[in-house]
Amino acid sequence: MAYQYALVVYHTEQVENMDINPLIQARGVTVSYNRRRGEEPLVALAGVDLDVAAGEFVAIVGPSGCGKTTFLNVVAGLVRPAAGSVTVAGREVTGPGPDRAMVFQDYALMPWRTVEANVRFGLEFQRHGLSRSEVDARIAEAIELVSLRGFERSFPYELSGGMRQRVGIARALVGRPQILLADEPLGAVDAMTREAMQGELERIIAASGLTTILITHSIDEALSLADRLVLVSHRPGTVREILDVTLPRPRFDYDIKAHPDYAPLREHVWELLKGEALGAKEVRA
Amino acid sequence: MKRRLRMPESRWARIGLVVLNLAVFLAVWQIVAKQGWINSLFFPAPSETWQALIDGFSDGTLGEALLWSLRCFAIGMIAAAVVGIPIGLLMGTSDAAYSLLSPYVWAMASLPRVAITPLLILIFGFSQMAELVLIFLSALFPIIINCMAGPKTVDPSLLRAGRVFGASRLALYVKVVFPFTLPFVVSGLNQGLTRGLVGMVIAEIFGGNNGLGYVIQRAGETFESPTLYAALFLLVVISLTLVQLLRWLEVRVAPWRNQALDT
Repeated sequence: MAYQYALVVYHTEQVENMDINPLIQARGVTVSYNRRRGEEPLVALAGVDLDVAAGEFVAIVGPSGCGKTTFLNVVAGLVRPAAGSVTVAGREVTGPGPDRAMVFQDYALMPWRTVEANVRFGLEFQRHGLSRSEVDARIAEAIELVSLRGFERSFPYELSGGMRQRVGIARALVGRPQILLADEPLGAVDAMTREAMQGELERIIAASGLTTILITHSIDEALSLADRLVLVSHRPGTVREILDVTLPRPRFDYDIKAHPDYAPLREHVWELLKGEALGAKEVRA
Repeated sequence: MKRRLRMPESRWARIGLVVLNLAVFLAVWQIVAKQGWINSLFFPAPSETWQALIDGFSDGTLGEALLWSLRCFAIGMIAAAVVGIPIGLLMGTSDAAYSLLSPYVWAMASLPRVAITPLLILIFGFSQMAELVLIFLSALFPIIINCMAGPKTVDPSLLRAGRVFGASRLALYVKVVFPFTLPFVVSGLNQGLTRGLVGMVIAEIFGGNNGLGYVIQRAGETFESPTLYAALFLLVVISLTLVQLLRWLEVRVAPWRNQALDT
């Protein structure tokens, strides 16, 4: 049986309101993993095309195992595609770089480092020729931005999940990247914190003018944050769609879910994903 | 209604309880031994053990034995750490090193080290070298096995973060793998210490002519049980001190690991 997880994204009517040169350009990205000898390789991504304009917030929504994280890893330069390519500002991605930073679902903070030292990690290997005091100033600024002043000396194990992810965000922002890659950043925090953190994330990203790719399972999270939704399918690798989210910003000043456009949008997305989610369950059973 | 025994909250009250506990135990032992209700050859009164301890230190025999044991132990342990930590880290990092060395490491780790004492005596004679080698071998394998576990179990998510933020292979090792592994190294040393002490005593009892093990063996042969107890007491003190020291170090290098105990 072929393990084909095709993820193909069409962009049709979106093309005209996009810049001529999008910041991130993915063309035919295909990734496959070697499995045990004698078995066919596992195709995680098959021919993905996606353009993301500078300053845009794109959410990739899809069921588990559809290759969302793999796509993010390709953009981050952690995984080389077997075919196709990703360019950032016209240059092909061949490895990680200071123009791209990532926020992780499990925070991925170094438990032996304080909050400050964890944030410093974001600048440790790519100092951009900054002096010591400039580095310190950047760190203080990033900690301020995520409202963690006073917790510089705390260790991650002393913080709540939401606060840990703020550290993760500060570490990502301290190097002033152009692109933020967020891999289920709020997947591990409790529902209430999650809601509050979404507002926080919107504020931070708007303030720093970042181009963002967010991966999420949550339709509500995607609709609350993104300019565009990319719906990806798990199986049988069918083509889904790209959706403009025209809800007004800032969305956390009031309850965006009460907006008249919200329910129809959500229903539409759910209609598309429902089959995917159920299909995925069947496959696993 | 049932009443439950509860430990008091205050630190000093707890220490007081421990002291009281020991005092009652020793007092009962003292009385029972002096009354002749137990054979004082097997269980000499605490006062006699205390006297043997003082005599042993004033005539220099116990002090000399203690120093000898500590010196041998330190040399063997340091050698085991110096050799064991790099080998363990290497085996945890490189699959080739692991495949090459693991059969021998696991074989030696599962072999009761006492069993090679006669071989060591055959090779080195009744010499200090036999003792040093036995301490070294006793401590070495727990150290290797623990150090090996560190790099093998590094959280892949931390490595991913390291790479995203631009760490080179070397930097990943220095800034992620090594700090992650440090607590494993300390627990390896902790296990190595207890094993090394066993090796030390065994070597001194069977092959040595010096050290606390030798004192124990001699005292047993000459029916000087208070001296025997005095040497056992010193061993308990050494072992407890070292283990507590390492526990303290373990908490210091990895405070996050004890979080579950606190909450």
